[in-house]
Amino acid sequence: MARLIRTEKEVEGNYTEQWIVVDEDALDQWPAGALQTVGQPAARIDGLQRARGQAVYTADIQLPGMLHAAVLRSPHARARLTRLDLTRTRAAPGVREVIGPGDSHVLSDEPGYHGAPVAAVAADTFRAAGAALALADVDWELSAPLLDPDLAIAQGSCVSDARIAERGDIERGLSEADAVVEAEYTTQTVLHNSLEPHQAVCAWEGDTLTVYISTQFIWGVRDSVAEQLGLPPDKVRVVCEYMGGGFGSKNGPGEYTYIAAELARRTGRPVRCALTRREENLATGNRNATVQRLAAGARSDGTLTALRGEFVNAIGFKGWSPSTGGPMELLYACDNVRVVEHGAKLNTPPNAAFRAPGFVEGTFGLECLIDELAAKLELDPLEFRMRNYAHSDLVDGRPFSSKNLLECYRRAEPHWARREEVRARSAGPWKHGMGLASQVWYGGGGPPSYAWIRIGADARAQVVTAMQDIGTGSRTAMAQIAAEELGLPLERVEVSLGDSARGPFASISAGSSTIPSMGPAVRAAAADAKRQLIEIAAQRYHLEERVLSLRNGHIVSADGGSWPIEEITGLLDEGQILGKGARGPNPTGMRTLTFGVQLAEVAVDVETGEVRVDRIVAIHDVGRVINPLGASSQVEGGIIQGIGHTLSEERLLDPHTGVVLTQTLDAYKLPTIADVPEIVTELVDVPDAHLTNLGSKGLGEPPIIPTSAAIANAIRDATGADVRSLPISREEMLRALRETRERSSRRAEPVEAPAS
Amino acid sequence: MPLAGGTELVPLIHDGLVEADTLVELRQAVPRGISAGRIGAGTTLAELEADPHIPQVLREACEGAASPQLRSMGTIGGNLLQATRCWYWRLKFPCYLHGGERCHARQGIHREHAIFGNERCASAHPSDPAAALLALSATVVTDRRAFPLAELYRLPTDDDRGLTALEPGELILELELPRPDASVYLKAMDRRKWAFPLVGVAAARFGAATRIGLAGVAPIPWLLESEQELDRATPLPGTAYKLDIARALLPRALAALRPA
Repeated sequence: MARLIRTEKEVEGNYTEQWIVVDEDALDQWPAGALQTVGQPAARIDGLQRARGQAVYTADIQLPGMLHAAVLRSPHARARLTRLDLTRTRAAPGVREVIGPGDSHVLSDEPGYHGAPVAAVAADTFRAAGAALALADVDWELSAPLLDPDLAIAQGSCVSDARIAERGDIERGLSEADAVVEAEYTTQTVLHNSLEPHQAVCAWEGDTLTVYISTQFIWGVRDSVAEQLGLPPDKVRVVCEYMGGGFGSKNGPGEYTYIAAELARRTGRPVRCALTRREENLATGNRNATVQRLAAGARSDGTLTALRGEFVNAIGFKGWSPSTGGPMELLYACDNVRVVEHGAKLNTPPNAAFRAPGFVEGTFGLECLIDELAAKLELDPLEFRMRNYAHSDLVDGRPFSSKNLLECYRRAEPHWARREEVRARSAGPWKHGMGLASQVWYGGGGPPSYAWIRIGADARAQVVTAMQDIGTGSRTAMAQIAAEELGLPLERVEVSLGDSARGPFASISAGSSTIPSMGPAVRAAAADAKRQLIEIAAQRYHLEERVLSLRNGHIVSADGGSWPIEEITGLLDEGQILGKGARGPNPTGMRTLTFGVQLAEVAVDVETGEVRVDRIVAIHDVGRVINPLGASSQVEGGIIQGIGHTLSEERLLDPHTGVVLTQTLDAYKLPTIADVPEIVTELVDVPDAHLTNLGSKGLGEPPIIPTSAAIANAIRDATGADVRSLPISREEMLRALRETRERSSRRAEPVEAPAS
Repeated sequence: MPLAGGTELVPLIHDGLVEADTLVELRQAVPRGISAGRIGAGTTLAELEADPHIPQVLREACEGAASPQLRSMGTIGGNLLQATRCWYWRLKFPCYLHGGERCHARQGIHREHAIFGNERCASAHPSDPAAALLALSATVVTDRRAFPLAELYRLPTDDDRGLTALEPGELILELELPRPDASVYLKAMDRRKWAFPLVGVAAARFGAATRIGLAGVAPIPWLLESEQELDRATPLPGTAYKLDIARALLPRALAALRPA
C-alpha cells in the first residue's frame, strides 16, 4: 500500500526534507552471508556484448539524416562579445543551422570561463560543422579574470552563502587540548575524463523528442529537457542503453543536450552533439580545487577535543559548494567541532559532482591532520582513530542504521602489523612506509524507485525498469537480486533498462545510490511475481501456499516435493506473470552512512621525488554485498582514480588569462596500468538490518575517499615529510622533503651555533 | 609535408599547428632497419628497443618513450624532429617560438619546462632517444650531408625561431652510431609509463671518456659538457625541482657506466 510520509532525501550529501509517496517494504531481509546468487561473484551479464562491440552506446547511435553539431566556445576566461558575425559560417558547405546567444539559454555573449559555449552549428558532418565555426567573425572585449579563491571570498564572489556547522565550543576544545596541530592543505582541480565523452542525439519523432544520451539519470534528463522546451515530460523519451562512465559529471542533461535539441527543433532532423576530448577537459565539470585551513586538538590520552576547519572550495563560474567539511563533522566522536565552507565564484570552468564530491578533498585534509596529531602525541594512528570512534551521529544525535567501522579497523590490524617489515625494506634513496585513512560517506539511497518483472511460459524472468547502468555493473546486480528472489539461475534473468518509454521511474545513479535505491525495488517486484507463481502452484498441486517456495528453478514444497518451474509457467501459454515493486522508505530517525579504512604501502625515492604505491588494502562496510566480483572492481576503480588524484592529475590554468593549459591526455596525466599497485579488497558484508529489504548500501564512491590521505600518511611514515598539497608530484615531494630537512637543521642549529 | 610514422605529424595537423595540403609517404625513400652501426631513419622505436645490437642507452630511451602502440608506428627520424609539448606553444599563444615577443611559459605555468638554454624560450625538448643519440655522438646522414647529431639542433634566435638546422626539404636518412663500452638511460616522469621526460639522463662511456645527454631540460636535447655544468643551470621557479632530479640521476648514470 502506498503511504504518504515526510522524509529526508539525500543525494551526494545534499539533504532535502520532502513529502514522498512510498510503498510499504513488507519483505524481511535475507539471512546474512552469501546466498544462491546474491553474494556470489558473477561475471557481468553484458560482458560479452561489451567486449564484442555489440553494446550500443550513445556514441554508436546513427539515425537517418542525422546532423552533427559543433560548439563555438569562448577562448577567454572573462570576456564580452562585441561582434559575432556568423554570415560566413551559415554559408559554409554542409551547414544546416546556426545558433548563437539568444537562441538557447546555454549560449552566452558574456562567457565567464574558458570553454563556455557561445554558438553552435549543425552540419552534415562534424568536420563541416567545425570548419564552419572557424569562419565565425568574433571580436571580444576582455576583462581580467578572477582566479584566486581566497581573493574571491574576500571580495564576496561566492556561489552561495558560507555554510557554518558547529557543535560544542571550539575555543574551549582547543584550550583543553594537550597538543594542537594547525595546518593548511590544498587539493587541485581534477577532471572526470570519462571514456565516453559527454554527448546526446536529439531526434523528433512526431511530437515526441527522443534524447539518446550518455547519462547517470534518465528521468532527470527527461524532466529538465521537458521543462526547458515547454513539453509535457511524457513527450520526452530518454534512452541510455550503455554508458561509458560519468563519475558525477553526467547527472544532468548538460548544455550539449539543449544545443542538440534546439538544432533538431529548427532543422527537423536528428542532431548529435558529442564533445571532443578537448571539450571534456574544458567544459564538462571538474572536482574543484580546495584550500583547507585546519586545526585539531587532543588530550595526551588521545581524546580529540577540537576539530576546526575553514574550507574554501574553488567552484568556478557556476556550480555548487560540496561538503568538504563533512568528514570532519561525521568521522570522529569529537565534542567541539566548527566547520566553515566557502564556495568561491571564479572565472574558471564550473565544477560538477565527482565521485564523493567534497569528501575526497575533505578526507585528505582531515585524515592527514589526524595523523600529524597522532605523531605529535606519539600515538599509533590506528589506535588514535579507534579511541575517538563515533558510536552515534554527533551532528544531530541520531543512531546509525548500521556501522561496522570498528570491524574494518579490526580487519586492518594484521595489515597494519606489516609496517615494521615495510619500513625495513628501505634501501639507498628508497624509503618505504605505511599509512592509513578512514572513510565516511553517504550511500543509503532512497525512494522513489520502481521495477517491474515479467515471467512467461518459458520460465525466464525479465526485469523492466528505466534505470541506467553507468558502467558499474548495475545490470548484473539487479539480475542477481531477481534471480535470488525467484530461485532462478542467473542466466534465466534478463534486465531491460535504459529507456524512459519502457519502464517505471528509477533513481539517479549518483551518490552511491543505485544498488540501495533500485535493488530493493527489484527484489520487491520479484517477490510479487514469486507470490503469484506460488499461488498458481498451490492450486495446481493442491498444496498450501505457505509450504511452497522457489529454489534452483524449481517449485519445492516443505514435504520434499519438487517440480520444475516450467510446469507452472507452462500453464501460462501466452499469458504472463507480472510483478511490480517499489523502494520502501528509509529508516526514520537514523543516519545511514558507509564506512571504511584503507592502508597504503609506498616507496619514495627521496632524491628524485618519485613516489611509488606498492600496495593498497581497502576494507569497507557497505552493508550486504550483492556481487563480490563487481564490488572488488568498483573498489579497484576508485583506488586507481584516487591514485591519479593523489600523484599525477591536475588541471592547470594559465595564471594570467585563465586559459586551460591541460586539454589533452598527454598533458592531463591519468594513471596508467603501470601505476596500479597490488589492491586487496575486503568487504565486511553485514546487512544493514534497518535499511530496506536488502540491507545494502552503495559502493561507488567510498573506495576513492581515503586513498589520497592513506598515501600521504604513508609518505610521511616513510620520509618524515608533511605532504599537504595534491598532487604529490615530483616538485611537491621534493619541496616537502626539503622543508623537512630545513626544519630539522633549524632545530639542530641553536645547539651548534656559537653564542654571539 | 613528409609523413613517416605519423604519430607526431597527424596530431600536429589535427591541432592546426601544421598545415599541409599533401602528405608524402616516406616509406620508399627513407631506409628502415639496423646494420653494423647504422640505423635507417625509418626504423621504429619498437624495433630499436628490441635489437640487441643497439647500445643500451638508446634501447632504454626508446623503451621508456610513449606507449607500445606509438613506438610501433613512430620512427627514430621523426622522433628526433618532435615538436615541444609546451602547452603555450601547443595552444598557439603568440609565444617566442611562434615568432612572438616573449615566452609565455616563463611567467606562466612551466613545471614541464627548461632549466638550460631557456632565456628566450623555456620549452623543453620531449625526445628521449635524442638525448641517447647525443650521448652516443651519433652522426646524422641526410640526403645532402652528414654531421654530428649535436649540430642538428639550435636554440631559437630573434632571426630564426626554428630549433633544427635542417634545410628546407632536407631529409634525415640514417644515423651512424659508434659503439660505447657502456651506456645507460635514466628517466624521471610524472607516471610510470607513457609520459614525456621531466628529466632524462643519457650517458655513454667510450674508454675513459663519458658523454652525457639530457632530455626534457632545454628547448633542444642538451649535451652536458661536465657534471659541473649543472651548477650553471638557469631553472625557473617552477623547474628548480628538475635540477634536483638531474643532480640525483647523473651520479646514478655514471655509477652504472663504471667497469665492473
